[in-house]
Amino acid sequence: MSVMEQQDLYAALLHEMKNHLVLMAITLDRVPHVGDAGHDQPLDEVRLLCQRASERLMQALFIYKNDQGGALLNAVDAYSTEDFLSEMAVQARSLRAQLKVDTELADNVPAIWFFDRNMLEMALMNALHNSVAYARERIRISARVEEGMLCIAIEDDSEGYPEHILQAVAEDKPLSSSGTGLGLRFSSLIAKSHVNNGRTGMLRLSNRDGAVFEIRVP
Amino acid sequence: MPQEARFVDYKTKKALVVDDYPSMRSAFKMALASFGMTKVDLAATASEAVMRVKSGNYDVIICDYNLGEGRDGQQLLEELRHREMIDLETVFLMVTAESIYERVVAAAELAPDDYLIKPFNGEILRTRLDAILLKKEAFRKVHRSFAQRDLESALAGCDVIIQEYPKYFVDALRFKGEVLLAMGDFEGAEALYKQVIALRAVPWSRLGLARAMHLQRKEPVAEEMLLDIVKQHPELVASYDLLADVQIAQNKFTEAQNTLHRGVEVSAKSPRRKRRLGELAYQNEDLDNAERAFRAAIDKGRNSVFLAANDFANLARVHLDQNNAKAAAEIITSNRKLLQESPEGKLVAAVVQAQVNARNAQHKEARAGMLEAMQLKKRGARCEPELAMDMVEACVKAGMDDEAAELLAEVARNAHDSTALLDKAKRIYQEAGKAEQVSDILQKSTARVAQLSREGALLLQKGDLRNGAQKLLQASKEASRNPRVLMNTAWAILRLVEQDGNSDDMLGNAMRLLDAAAYLAPEHPRLAGLQTMLRTIESAVAAQRLAALIKPT
Repeated sequence: MSVMEQQDLYAALLHEMKNHLVLMAITLDRVPHVGDAGHDQPLDEVRLLCQRASERLMQALFIYKNDQGGALLNAVDAYSTEDFLSEMAVQARSLRAQLKVDTELADNVPAIWFFDRNMLEMALMNALHNSVAYARERIRISARVEEGMLCIAIEDDSEGYPEHILQAVAEDKPLSSSGTGLGLRFSSLIAKSHVNNGRTGMLRLSNRDGAVFEIRVP
Repeated sequence: MPQEARFVDYKTKKALVVDDYPSMRSAFKMALASFGMTKVDLAATASEAVMRVKSGNYDVIICDYNLGEGRDGQQLLEELRHREMIDLETVFLMVTAESIYERVVAAAELAPDDYLIKPFNGEILRTRLDAILLKKEAFRKVHRSFAQRDLESALAGCDVIIQEYPKYFVDALRFKGEVLLAMGDFEGAEALYKQVIALRAVPWSRLGLARAMHLQRKEPVAEEMLLDIVKQHPELVASYDLLADVQIAQNKFTEAQNTLHRGVEVSAKSPRRKRRLGELAYQNEDLDNAERAFRAAIDKGRNSVFLAANDFANLARVHLDQNNAKAAAEIITSNRKLLQESPEGKLVAAVVQAQVNARNAQHKEARAGMLEAMQLKKRGARCEPELAMDMVEACVKAGMDDEAAELLAEVARNAHDSTALLDKAKRIYQEAGKAEQVSDILQKSTARVAQLSREGALLLQKGDLRNGAQKLLQASKEASRNPRVLMNTAWAILRLVEQDGNSDDMLGNAMRLLDAAAYLAPEHPRLAGLQTMLRTIESAVAAQRLAALIKPT
């Protein structure tokens, strides 16, 4: 088998596994909460795991596609920033109901912005999953315009990112050692795929009261 | 958090869920019920959905893209919109587990209101529905005006949204572009799309600009733009169709065929695109590809509204040109039941059978077939000019010279300006060794229309609108199926009414002419502008009449 064929086989495998996991997630969604923590909690955990696994596979597929020279973005169009933020908040709350989730839209954010909604959402879901897992009690999802870019940030009250991750993202080094870097690499690729007027989007990580994950799109 | 949610009253809304998995259908039903939407019907296939939509009035249709065997969600959407079974006010939400669907949606002429990628939870479904329904609410008046062809109100409505709803600013610009194109204000559309491109060159705005240029007959500019669009967005199928139009307008038929061929490779679904590809290949005398495309048009069109009797005539014509009468006959016999369902189908069956008989020197059978065909045509079966030429050919071959002459005269009167059809007539007569007849028939049948058109144009040039319009009216009586003649006449009449006011029901004439032209050539670039001109003059005349009633002198 040639290297090409082997890669195609891996891609097909990833695709198939992703589809199975999507079906599994949909099936799990049909199991209702019963109000008993002994039942509901493991159910939530397994749903989250299933979602994360299918998203990981999808991200791996996109990274593969990008390596093959394919375009990552499908549908850049005008979207409401406000609707986008509230959708992210809905996602966060559905993942962990006890969490306090605030959204904040700065006054300088216009009603619409041009981006690929689904890809950007997938990139932000990475951070959301992390925050849902590590936040003590609150998550803040915010948007503002800075230097002509729309900055969407997800902040939590966790311990924050470890130093090596902050450094790797700041230096724009591909992270791959433990697999945890895959999501960040994907987020960074999506941010950078957004270009406008010669400017390129970016991913920024920092620690403030907790972890701050920020994507900027021009 | 969505505060807007409280404005949407789901209890009064009716939904249809289309999904091939029973468990997904019930999951949707449960999710919708959780926010008060209880009037929900379910369908498992596209055909079932069509049946449901026929009898039920749905506010919301939620449809899975992948519906297993048969048509997919995108094809269902196109069919529902094409048959006008749902209007712009109906919400169509596509659901998909395929990330490829985003490409489909970018490529589709008809996009759903939004789409949702699986897996998702019920809350996200609600957020999306809230957003779409609120947007529909804001656009309701605009959509209604557009559906009633009150384009001026639709335009004004778009401007209100652009001013007052920053959130829908771009959506309103996009719809305004459609309205401007429908009004025939191509320069206005050009300016609008340039405005959007200045914000961001999203594919639809670039395609809109190219269309506006094409409709202004700035073909080389349009072609350059489109070549660039297909290079950057090879999946945008609509751009291949437009590029082919632009190339045809410049007589670049080989390039146009190649363009449509690429379009068909990107999306093999549309039978209409395949049909056009077949027509072009046939025109380019590329019979193999014409055969392939027409055959595919029939295969793809089966069980949908897009299959027409004419598709069988097209394919049979190719086989006859390939000297394969057997294959032509086979098309008719294997589709007999379908063809017997409509007068057009019966006409095609009779003509093709007669052609086959004529080739096999079965002149008696050919004659009988042609007599039947002519009866069907007289009783009103719609007959494309190409099929009428097939009839001419069969008559010539079967020795029915008088009938052939009559048919040809009718085609020629209505196509005095189409060299392709007239050349075909010459070929038919030459091949039958009757070349001496054809020039006489063509000359006699086209002379009067050509002369009336010429004289009318001359009078108009001199500023004699009244007599010019009269001449053209006579021409359009002769060539009542030639859209160009009809539109020229309507234009002259409208100029006359503009100048002298309405008399002798001239406006009624203009309206009839434009209706006939719209039936014959719905996509002709001049049509929309003339219709707008008619509406404007109509309301001016009505206003004058009203003023005269109020202030009698």
